[in-house]
Amino acid sequence: MADDLNMLGEQLKEAFTDKVLSLENRLDELTMVIDAADIMAVFMRLRDDPNFRFEQLIDVCGVDYSTYGCETSEGGIYLVDEERINPFKQRFAAVYHLLSVEHNMRLRVKVFALDDAMPMLDSVIEVWPSANWFEREAFDMFGIVFVGHPDLRRILTDYGFVGNPFRKDFPLSGHVEMHYDPEQKRVLYRPVSVEPREVTPRTIREENYSRH
Amino acid sequence: MGIEGVLEKGFVTTSLDTVINYTRTGSLWPMTFGLACCAVEMMHVALSRYDLDRFGAGAFRPSPRQSDLMIVAGTLCNKMGPALRKVYDQMAEPRYVISMGSCANGGGYYHYSYSVVRGCDRIIPVDIYVPGCPPTAEALLYGVIQLQKKINRTNTIAR
Repeated sequence: MADDLNMLGEQLKEAFTDKVLSLENRLDELTMVIDAADIMAVFMRLRDDPNFRFEQLIDVCGVDYSTYGCETSEGGIYLVDEERINPFKQRFAAVYHLLSVEHNMRLRVKVFALDDAMPMLDSVIEVWPSANWFEREAFDMFGIVFVGHPDLRRILTDYGFVGNPFRKDFPLSGHVEMHYDPEQKRVLYRPVSVEPREVTPRTIREENYSRH
Repeated sequence: MGIEGVLEKGFVTTSLDTVINYTRTGSLWPMTFGLACCAVEMMHVALSRYDLDRFGAGAFRPSPRQSDLMIVAGTLCNKMGPALRKVYDQMAEPRYVISMGSCANGGGYYHYSYSVVRGCDRIIPVDIYVPGCPPTAEALLYGVIQLQKKINRTNTIAR
């Protein structure tokens, strides 16, 4: 299995020499990072090339790297360090999980969106139709716009929802809460009333703990 | 002594109340409103092991128009809120609501979430709260019995 994965890695390097930004084999899982501009070319070849034949798209999900690799400070507020561990510097990425039934192989492909303020990526719906709802979810939760998607609507959050809940700067309790208004006889939103609560992990140990 | 005399003493009124309450408690028609894992416990209550039918409340209906008891079993999300209210409004009077589990009672595990209603009593009036995450089938059964006791305390004719 590990040999198969190494072989796949070699083949990927050979096929996409100038397009692979990084290729990592960790925990027997292969992760490839490619440029946003190369999405269509790389994915089409991954699907159709007899060496790869990744016929199936398992999942597409968004990632927000805004505070990735930064230490937590006191009070649960994250400090944004200039020297981030994230070597790609962009904030948003989409992660694609592929499966080749023919070769019994899996591959993870990560693509970073270039613009942090307006993250945009090409839709892979032409390559794998199953991307439809996955991309809608990433659009809903992270605000990543998939160019070429035929029906890019929100999929999980409420109708008329404002914001992208999985972004790191979205407050956990949101901005609004729901209640029933007896005068208007309908369900309405009002500004959220609960206080945000951050739980900071700490160790509480009794005196003489483990001393008999 | 004529019948008027008996009416003045209030004998017939209380008796009719008892009869009405007896029929109401003995024929609760719950509506299936399973939203999450609590729904599984609600199913257990309805099935043969706990047998809600023993208490006259076993006829689960798929329509609010045919039922008078709503068991809110599970997490009520913001997206479901208007639908819950609409379904409640479609139920005929007299109607009762049992809020089942922590999520329906006050948001529970999702109290601080951006997408969950912090208790279904923000949307509809609730008669009985059943605590637990999820409550056991026995707990819900106990809640139904408590509701029947509550109905028995109400006066329909004499106000």
